[in-house]
Amino acid sequence: MKKFFLRLHWLDIVILAVVLGFFAYVFLQMGGNLKYHWRWEKIPNYIVKYHTGKEKWIINLLLIGLFNTIRICIVASILAIILGVFLGIARCSKNLAIRMLARTYLEILRNIPPLVIIFIFYFFLAEQFIQALNIEAWSYKIAKQENNQFWEFIFGDMRRFPSLISGIIVLALFESAFVGEIVRAGIESVDRGQREAARSIGMGSFQELRYIVLPQAMRKIMPPMANQFITLIKDSSIISLISVQELTYKTQALVSSTRMVFEAWLTTAAFYFIICYGLSVLFRRLENNKEN
Amino acid sequence: MKITKRIMGLALAAVMAVGVSQPTFAASTSQTLGSESVIETIKKRGVIKIGLDFFVPWSMRDTNGEIIGFEPEVGRKLAADMGVEVEFIPTKWAGIIPALVAGKMDVIISGMTVTPARNLTVNFSVPYAFSGLTILANTSMTEGMSLEDYNSEDITFSCRRGSTPCTYIATKFPKANLLKFEDEGVNVQEVLNGNAHATMASEPGPSRDARRHPETLSVPFNIAFDAGGEAFGMRKSDPDAMFYFNSWIRRHHNNGWLKATHDYWFRGNDWADQVDQ
Repeated sequence: MKKFFLRLHWLDIVILAVVLGFFAYVFLQMGGNLKYHWRWEKIPNYIVKYHTGKEKWIINLLLIGLFNTIRICIVASILAIILGVFLGIARCSKNLAIRMLARTYLEILRNIPPLVIIFIFYFFLAEQFIQALNIEAWSYKIAKQENNQFWEFIFGDMRRFPSLISGIIVLALFESAFVGEIVRAGIESVDRGQREAARSIGMGSFQELRYIVLPQAMRKIMPPMANQFITLIKDSSIISLISVQELTYKTQALVSSTRMVFEAWLTTAAFYFIICYGLSVLFRRLENNKEN
Repeated sequence: MKITKRIMGLALAAVMAVGVSQPTFAASTSQTLGSESVIETIKKRGVIKIGLDFFVPWSMRDTNGEIIGFEPEVGRKLAADMGVEVEFIPTKWAGIIPALVAGKMDVIISGMTVTPARNLTVNFSVPYAFSGLTILANTSMTEGMSLEDYNSEDITFSCRRGSTPCTYIATKFPKANLLKFEDEGVNVQEVLNGNAHATMASEPGPSRDARRHPETLSVPFNIAFDAGGEAFGMRKSDPDAMFYFNSWIRRHHNNGWLKATHDYWFRGNDWADQVDQ
C-alpha cells in the first residue's frame, strides 16, 4: 500500500483531487435540485429478508432477479455457443448456399438493433417454438411434481418457465451471430498448411475439422468468447422488455411499488458491475495462467 | 459477379423473412378463430394466467416480494370461483395488449380503462371498478393556474407510456409537451424534480404522492377526468369468455364483494404496512 502511494507523482494527486472535487460538486448540486427522500435502509430487505410469517430467511425480489439473470445467461450462452459454432463452420463452408445462409442470418442480426430483434423473435419465433413443443403443459406438470428440485434449481419457478425459455431463446439466437463470427475468425486463423497436411494424411473434411482445425481454433477463440459472455450478461437486461422476470424487470417492479427509484437502480447497477467485473478479472487470471 | 452475389444474398434474405413470417400469420388467425374458448383452456390447464402491471394500489409487490393489491385479490377470487389455481404474469404496460393477443396470458386484470382505441384490438368485459384520473402538479411551478392554463406550450406533462393518461393528456391539453416514461416511479420523480409541471394518474395514486411530498406536490383540481371504468381485457372472438367474466363481475357487484374489496384497497389504509411506499 505504501509503495502504491510512493509511485504517485504530484501531478497524479492533482488530477485525482480535481476529479474528486468535480464529483463532490455534482453530488452537492444534485442534493440541492433533487427532491428525493432516500431510503437506503429498505434495500437490504429486498435482497434477503427474514419472513416473519414463515419464520425463516427468504431471498427477495432483487436476489431472485439476479439468480434468474445468472440462469438465463448460463443457459443462453451454452445455446449460443452450440449455434455459433455451427454458424462459424457454415461461414467457412465450401458450399455457397450454406455460406450465404449463414451470412444472411448474421447480416440480419448485425444490422438490426437488438431491441427490435428481441421483439420480433419474441412475438414471432419464441411463441411458435413454445406451442410446437407443448412446453407450457410440460412445465406445469413439473411444477406440480414433488421432486422438482433439480428443475427448479436450473430454471427457477417452473411455472414461469415458458417466459424464461423464450427469453433464453431470444438472447441465444441474438448472441449466436456474434459467437459465429468469433468462431469463423478462429477457424480462419488456422494456417492453410495445417488443413492441407490433414488432407494429405487421408483425413476427411469432418476429421480435419474435429482433430486439426477446431482444437487450434479454440485456443484463439477463448479470450473473445469470454468477453462475449460478459456482453451477454449486460445484454440480458434488454429482455426485461418482454417481461422476463430477470434483475432489470424485478427492479422496475420494485420501483413501481415503492418509488425507491434511485436506490433500486443503483443497487442493480452494483450487482451487474460486481458480476461482470468479477468475471473479467477471473478470465484475465485464467488467460495469464495458461500463458505461463 | 460481386453485385450478382449481393443481390442473391438480398433475395435470400427476403425469402427467409417471408418464410419466417408466414406461419405466424397462419397460427395467429387459427388461434383467434379457434372455436375453443379460453375458459376451456383454463379449465384444462387448471391454472388461469392473469396479466398485470404494477400500480399502487391496484397491484404491487409487498415487502416479501409477493404480489398484493386490489387486482390480485380479484384474480384470486375469480380463480377460486372457477376452481383453478391462479398465476399472475407481471408484464410491462406498453406490451401488455400484444402479450395478451400473442397468448401469453388468458386475461388482463390490471385497472385497464375501456377506450375505443384499445377495444379495436381486445374485448372488454363490463367494468368492475370506476376510477377517474386526477392531475398531480408541482405546486410552485403551477401556482395560481386555471385548468385552461395547462393547455399551453410552456407546460410539460409526464405520463406512463401506453397508459390512458398519456392519450387523455394529448387530447385534453393538445398544446402542452408530453414526456413519456416506462414506469410510474420515474414519472412522478420528473414532476418532483421540476422537469415536468404535472402528470395524470388514477386515484388514489396522485393523492398519495401529494401527501408524501406535501411541500412540492399537490392535486390542484377536485375533478375526476375520463372516468371510463376499468374492465377485464380478453382476446377477440371469444363470446364464452366474455359471458363468463361479465356474469362473474355482475354477481360480485350485486353481492357487494367488489365494492368492499375496492374500498379496502382504495379508501382504507389497513394494508399500508405491507408495502414500502
